[in-house]
Amino acid sequence: MKTLMLGAAALVLGTTVAQADYPERPIEITVPAPAGGGTDTSARMLATLLEGELGTSIAILNAAGGGGSVGVTQFMQARNDGYSLLATWNSPITTVPQMQPTAYAPDSFVPVASTSQTAYTLCVAPAFPAETGEEFLAELAANPGRYTYGNDGIGGTMQLAAERIFQARGIETIAVPFGGAGETLQNFLGGHVDIYGGSISPVLPYAQSGEAKCLIVTSAAAVPALPQASGLEALGLGDKETLLWRMVLAPAGTDQAIVDRLIAALETTVNSPQYTEFLAGVGEVPNVVTGPALGERLQGEFDALAEVAQSLGLAQ
Amino acid sequence: MDLLTQIAGSVFSLGSVAAMLGASLLGVLIGALPGLNPVMAIALLLPLTYSMEPLIALGMVAGIYNGSMYGGAIPAILMRIPGTPAAIATTFDGFPMTQRGEAARALKIACWSSAIGGTASALALMTMGPLLARATLHFGPAEYFWIAMFGMASIGVLVGDDALKGLMAAVLGLLLGTVGLDNLSGIPRYTFGEPWLLGGLDLVVILVGLYALPPVIALAEQADLKGLSAAALKLGRARLGWAEIRGLIPTWLRSSFIGIGVGILPGAGGNIAAFLSYSAAKSASPDPDSFGKGNPQGVAAAECGNNADNAASMIPALALGIPGNVVAALVLGALLIHGLQPGPQLFHQNPALVGGFMAQMLITSLLILLVGGAAATRVFAQVQRLPGVLMVPMILVLMAVGVYVINGRVVDLWVMFAAGLAGYVLEKLAFPLAPVVLGLILGPMAEQSVRRALLISRGDATELLTRPISAVIAVATLALILWPILRAWQRRRHGAKAP
Repeated sequence: MKTLMLGAAALVLGTTVAQADYPERPIEITVPAPAGGGTDTSARMLATLLEGELGTSIAILNAAGGGGSVGVTQFMQARNDGYSLLATWNSPITTVPQMQPTAYAPDSFVPVASTSQTAYTLCVAPAFPAETGEEFLAELAANPGRYTYGNDGIGGTMQLAAERIFQARGIETIAVPFGGAGETLQNFLGGHVDIYGGSISPVLPYAQSGEAKCLIVTSAAAVPALPQASGLEALGLGDKETLLWRMVLAPAGTDQAIVDRLIAALETTVNSPQYTEFLAGVGEVPNVVTGPALGERLQGEFDALAEVAQSLGLAQ
Repeated sequence: MDLLTQIAGSVFSLGSVAAMLGASLLGVLIGALPGLNPVMAIALLLPLTYSMEPLIALGMVAGIYNGSMYGGAIPAILMRIPGTPAAIATTFDGFPMTQRGEAARALKIACWSSAIGGTASALALMTMGPLLARATLHFGPAEYFWIAMFGMASIGVLVGDDALKGLMAAVLGLLLGTVGLDNLSGIPRYTFGEPWLLGGLDLVVILVGLYALPPVIALAEQADLKGLSAAALKLGRARLGWAEIRGLIPTWLRSSFIGIGVGILPGAGGNIAAFLSYSAAKSASPDPDSFGKGNPQGVAAAECGNNADNAASMIPALALGIPGNVVAALVLGALLIHGLQPGPQLFHQNPALVGGFMAQMLITSLLILLVGGAAATRVFAQVQRLPGVLMVPMILVLMAVGVYVINGRVVDLWVMFAAGLAGYVLEKLAFPLAPVVLGLILGPMAEQSVRRALLISRGDATELLTRPISAVIAVATLALILWPILRAWQRRRHGAKAP
């Protein structure tokens, strides 16, 4: 009994001390994606800079699979002591649960901060009979079922982003799911599919060389790197914005003092010149939404994607 | 000319040379240790080099990648345990050679074949990279479907004596390949509600279990307490005579060609290159029955093929910005961190860096001769002298570590052990394992490609045959199936005439 009480006392003491001196030991960040991918690279870059900011070492744990749901599910068992964090992109939280049963929901975590974001883009070959986003959508609407578009995977965020736009304009196209933006790009450049659908960075050099004509980005605002592409606001579809974005989450019940410390560190790190320069290289921009506002953003995106997944017959 | 001096200057700088040499040694070691594989090693080590010069990082990638492809052959030849999945085909003839007391000769042939395949591939990368990259764009889903079918047709060459058992093994592989979320409909198949199965069975986990575990169990069965004596290992001098080299040249040429071809097309990889090279060597041989019984041509074909895959797999990544495999994706990631934009302009904007990396792929291929031939083979091969009571637990731990690191989940260990037990039972029942692997790799590729092709053609199946490249591969597939039948028939006719 005595030892038990002592143990409990030590635990209580331990937590208070941990909050005051946080962080006093290495932090482990779970990345629900394989090493070397976009999420992994940006998380590692962020971790390197965070190490200096927090004064502790940070280990990255890659747990890939199930479109990210495997790593996130695994993270559900992490202790909420502030030494286990999740660095993920939005799809495992807001898209994957639409199609698969998951052990988590958007509100299963303590939102810490979003870090960066980028839009998806739709591009066509130079000979395609459209020069603007509006003409592009008109051509698609006039020819239902004629055009094929490659995307990152069935029910993936990219496909849902495109379908939200298409449904709003009553457009019917044939979605061809590939294993990722690289594969989509290869099939687009080879002329096997009519439309490239995917992230901006792989197709950017081809847009600059004129081999690809990027006519729409899935963000509300236009993207400076793709001058020919219309933002959704300009097309009157501003509420259909769907982005690829990244964030840091903590396990439910993590102490608010620790979360605040992390938010402060992330705000400094993300906006540091090194990180923004890195982001520019991969076609992303810094975007820090913190705390409850981040929670609302997650829930809002989850609900919007649920609607489009439902109408596509993809929802579980 | 200025560019050449600049490239030479940076490639032969102290940092780059140290990175290439060190990484080649490390690569051979990683390859030689079952379970540890180059993709994982590169993924873990590359982030550590983000703050260094790009060519140090790339030299390290080149060294590990090329070195490990050869390293995998060492345990494959000595113990029938493929060090990497790409060395599976090396076990077919490499281990029988060891049993015949020709381990040194087999290792030497593997070393030379790896170096030659890697060199041919690096030369292709340097001279025809952009051209080959543009050629890959003509391969759409329909062409990929036929490539997968061609690969599956080569099962016929690999099945061994009992065609029925070979087919059953292939079907088992196809079945295992269906597990996971269907990429085209989003419907989970055979996942039993387990989220970790949604991504399908991890290929490397299955291959490590299926191929590396049965020989380990066999080793344990021998209850060997002493290990081999230095004399029994017979690693003394084995010189490759000119006659032998001349005999291997056609195999090297053929395997280099196949390896490069498989390499530039995303999705297949070193193991498929090795299998196809092996089956091509067997088909072309005047004595196909000697394969699987210690024919040096088999070792040469497999090792040359898997190394020829390496540099070629960088072609779409460097020339188009499209990564064809995980290593290529890691290289592109590293370039991005260094502020370089992958894409068709990469070479024009950074000729010194891209040229330097190409040169590093070439140099590290040649380094295999030095590192593999002189030091590594003698050192790492000594592991074989450990008694089984030490070696078995050691290999099991290494395999477990290697498999765990791939996805960071414990369940993969169970999958590996289950695959290993299945492999053990199948071997005891004289089922060939190669068709299981081909079915597992090529099944999903064939299925997804044909469904994508039909989506694009709006369900018109004739489009699978009317495209010129598709038609050529389809005819080749048919020829591959008919060839052994024709030859057997011809031999029977000759046999009937002779007496």
